[in-house]
Amino acid sequence: MSAENKPLPIIEVINLRKRYGLIEALKGISFSVGKGEIVGFLGPNGAGKSTTLRILSGIIPADSGEAKVCGVDLAEEEGEVRRHIGYLAENNPLPDDLRVVEYLAFRASLKGLEGSRKRDRIRLVLDICDLERKVSERKIGNLSKGFRQRVGIADSLLAEPRLVILDEPTIGLDPRQSAVTRKMMERLRGEVSFLLSSHILSEVEACCDRMIILSHGQIVAEGTLNQLQNKFIHKTTFEIVANSQRIELQKTVRQIDSDCELIQDDPVEVNGKRRFTFSTHKGQKIAETILRRLLEVNNFEVSEFQISRPDLETIFLRATKQNWQEQDFLGRNKKRISKETNQSN
Amino acid sequence: MNGFLVILKVELFSLFISPATYVASFYFLSLLAFGFRFFIESFAASDWILPPLSSLALGLILGGPALIPFLTMRSFAEERRLGTLETLMSAPISSVSLVYGKWTASYLFFCFVAVCAFCFPLILWICFPDQGEGLGFQNFEQWAGSGIFLLTFGGSFSAIGIFSSSITKNQMVAGMLSFTLLTLYLSLMAFSFGESHQSDSIVGVSSFLKSCMGSMYDGLNKLQNFSVGLVEISTIFHQIAVIIYFLSLATLQVERLKH
Repeated sequence: MSAENKPLPIIEVINLRKRYGLIEALKGISFSVGKGEIVGFLGPNGAGKSTTLRILSGIIPADSGEAKVCGVDLAEEEGEVRRHIGYLAENNPLPDDLRVVEYLAFRASLKGLEGSRKRDRIRLVLDICDLERKVSERKIGNLSKGFRQRVGIADSLLAEPRLVILDEPTIGLDPRQSAVTRKMMERLRGEVSFLLSSHILSEVEACCDRMIILSHGQIVAEGTLNQLQNKFIHKTTFEIVANSQRIELQKTVRQIDSDCELIQDDPVEVNGKRRFTFSTHKGQKIAETILRRLLEVNNFEVSEFQISRPDLETIFLRATKQNWQEQDFLGRNKKRISKETNQSN
Repeated sequence: MNGFLVILKVELFSLFISPATYVASFYFLSLLAFGFRFFIESFAASDWILPPLSSLALGLILGGPALIPFLTMRSFAEERRLGTLETLMSAPISSVSLVYGKWTASYLFFCFVAVCAFCFPLILWICFPDQGEGLGFQNFEQWAGSGIFLLTFGGSFSAIGIFSSSITKNQMVAGMLSFTLLTLYLSLMAFSFGESHQSDSIVGVSSFLKSCMGSMYDGLNKLQNFSVGLVEISTIFHQIAVIIYFLSLATLQVERLKH
């Protein structure tokens, strides 16, 4: 697709800043989310995720910077932006004394839905969120956490939003309930854009097209899982299960790649064979060459070979740690400098 | 005023399903009924210069600090405690519609209680027409005057209650604050009652306060006029100004929560 024909992004954020008193919650972040994309918004506690999501939902204003949702500038037409988005707040606050259908009808009216359109949309979101008739007639205060969460998601989908912002949608849910949320997102994939904040990294890895990692109000990583793996994990790790001595195997591997390191000194025993874990800087291809060579030499009896890809958790920890070191949040640089100064004095 | 009617509807609904509102209204109306019965029984023997209907309006206004907090304390304090205010603010509605919607709901409930209270003399008049006429219930201007007095002051009382609720997360604190502010308001209204007997120095203070606060200051004296059908437009406008003032403060408070 040429640059001229490229559709407008659903979210376009440029140099967004927000300060709460002395604390700078957002230090000029910029990113965009395309139509139909599911983007995971990750970061440690206090990274600025919820602040960004609340700014994008039009609940709080930014101090400076530009944020456009569906092409509409948030600073100028905050009310118009709210028409295009569905928002599930962190902890999903709901009124306990209303029934599910009453609450959804109230929310639908607030969002400007009336008459048959309102009824149809309520029916549809109840179906999407798997809230069968019995549940929809119950008071919200009597519902389990999983059902309450589904009510919140149903509310966010009511007004046919082009963007749905979900702040920790699966926190405290059991795996089955989390799967329902993922199923809902899969069902709407391509039609609706999702911006999803979560601490459950496996879930983000499973359902998001792209991830944005935030730390201390800055974006420290952005891209698909593959891009992030290439950016943050420079070593390729592979495992070999073979019937061989460590020194012999290591020698053969080193003949092909002299930099290849054996990670554990004592290999793990597996069904009478041994599992060796190596890592190399030279990428996946050299690992495959090593495998071919080991298969040629019969006395190794290789029964398993696996190139292990680092998961999102490893990337997340690496990206945030890098940011901590750069910003010296642990104060190590300060300590080192003061130690050096003391020594020189 | 996007969403004003939706907020009004749901707030009225929650007021009508809340047991606290019913309990408060029931006790309030019961006490008012006893007071009214006692008043009309002793009316002939007393030297009360106002018509008997004014006792109801007076009872409702003096009982305002007890009733209004029950109608208004939940409105914002509960939303803030539960966090549902954030969900509300994510919908395409303005803070002004939110505040005015909640105020209108509590004001309408106050009007509902006032209408119930006015049913006492109406029932009495229907059941005992002779006694009713003896107490002056056939004079429409007295009904209208007392009603308008209640509507204007009830509006400003509810606005004070909504403002109190907007500044805290705790319903009880909101209720107590609302009670205190309304009691202070009533104290100001009662300050100049019977001022002709006061000394010169007090009269000086009194005229200064009057020029500053208008009907807020001598509200109970205004009741004397309203209860005989003399409706003062300036008092109505002054109370509307009080309503707008407190609702604007509540709106500012809701806007402040965004930052």
